Amino acid sequence: MRGPHDLGGLPGGPIEPAVHEHEPTHWEKRIEAMMVLLFDTKRRLGRVDESRRMQEALGEDYHKYPYYERRLQAVSRLMLEKGVFSQEELEAKQREVRARLEAERSGS
Amino acid sequence: MSDQHHDLVHATHTHDGKPIQNDDRPPLEAETLETAIRELLIEKGVISSDDIRRAIETMDDRGEALGGKIVARAWVDEDFRQRLLSEGDAAVRDFGIDMRPTELCVVENTDEVHNMVVCTLCSCYPRPILGLPPVWYKRRDYRARAVREPRAILAEFGTTIPERKQVRVHDSNADLRYLVLPQRPAGTDDWSEEQLAELVTRDSMIGVADVRGPTD
Repeated sequence: MRGPHDLGGLPGGPIEPAVHEHEPTHWEKRIEAMMVLLFDTKRRLGRVDESRRMQEALGEDYHKYPYYERRLQAVSRLMLEKGVFSQEELEAKQREVRARLEAERSGS
Repeated sequence: MSDQHHDLVHATHTHDGKPIQNDDRPPLEAETLETAIRELLIEKGVISSDDIRRAIETMDDRGEALGGKIVARAWVDEDFRQRLLSEGDAAVRDFGIDMRPTELCVVENTDEVHNMVVCTLCSCYPRPILGLPPVWYKRRDYRARAVREPRAILAEFGTTIPERKQVRVHDSNADLRYLVLPQRPAGTDDWSEEQLAELVTRDSMIGVADVRGPTD
């Protein structure tokens, strides 16, 4: 069975290279930097195929997430699976960060 | 890729070629998750904020300028060209590039063959050389169609490959990355390596375009 990621040979629309081009945002680069560091030969906390496994396991949600959000979901799930941090730790940290960012965004 | 970001940023480089930081923010939940993971990793001593800063700097140093140097070297130095084609990983180490944990395979365009790179399953790309892939490379349309109708895609990039020339499409994967060695354009026989490097574009190393010379 074809997974949600397995697109080779399917029909598709025009490429429109001039439209689909933008300088990566700083936020996107931070996600890439985290992945590079976690997967490097020093830390070895994951591999590209493990990140893909996590993304492909999103099933129908695969296309719901924009590219970098999908990678972020993969990193999050991979680090939880490997016990680098727990679900409780992540949720507590998200609550703290969300409050901070909300205040920051409404102030700016 | 999210559609809300595409055309917000027009000027991407200053006059001296340094990237302007693109501070467009993602949706709150996405920024929350990224920040939470990053702060947990820092608190646990897995990575430091300095590691992240340096990793981003390294990323910013990659791109067509670095790839162009490799291509230009291969055009002027036959020994290097042969090494690049037979053991890409070792050859690019001359430029301080570490491909690990992936392998690099360089494919050469000739009068008979035009090469083009895709990753149908995701977005595998020679990142240690070219940096982050362009948005269109990661989108469904390119990934789906590249292996079935490469000539139609090439035409959308304004690249016409004569019918007598074979088009080879290379599907990258988690362990193996491809880089196209484009053909040296006509009219550049007396050009220096540095001048040649400046002609080379990112798209020519993905194989969706040729390198244009002074007579094109």
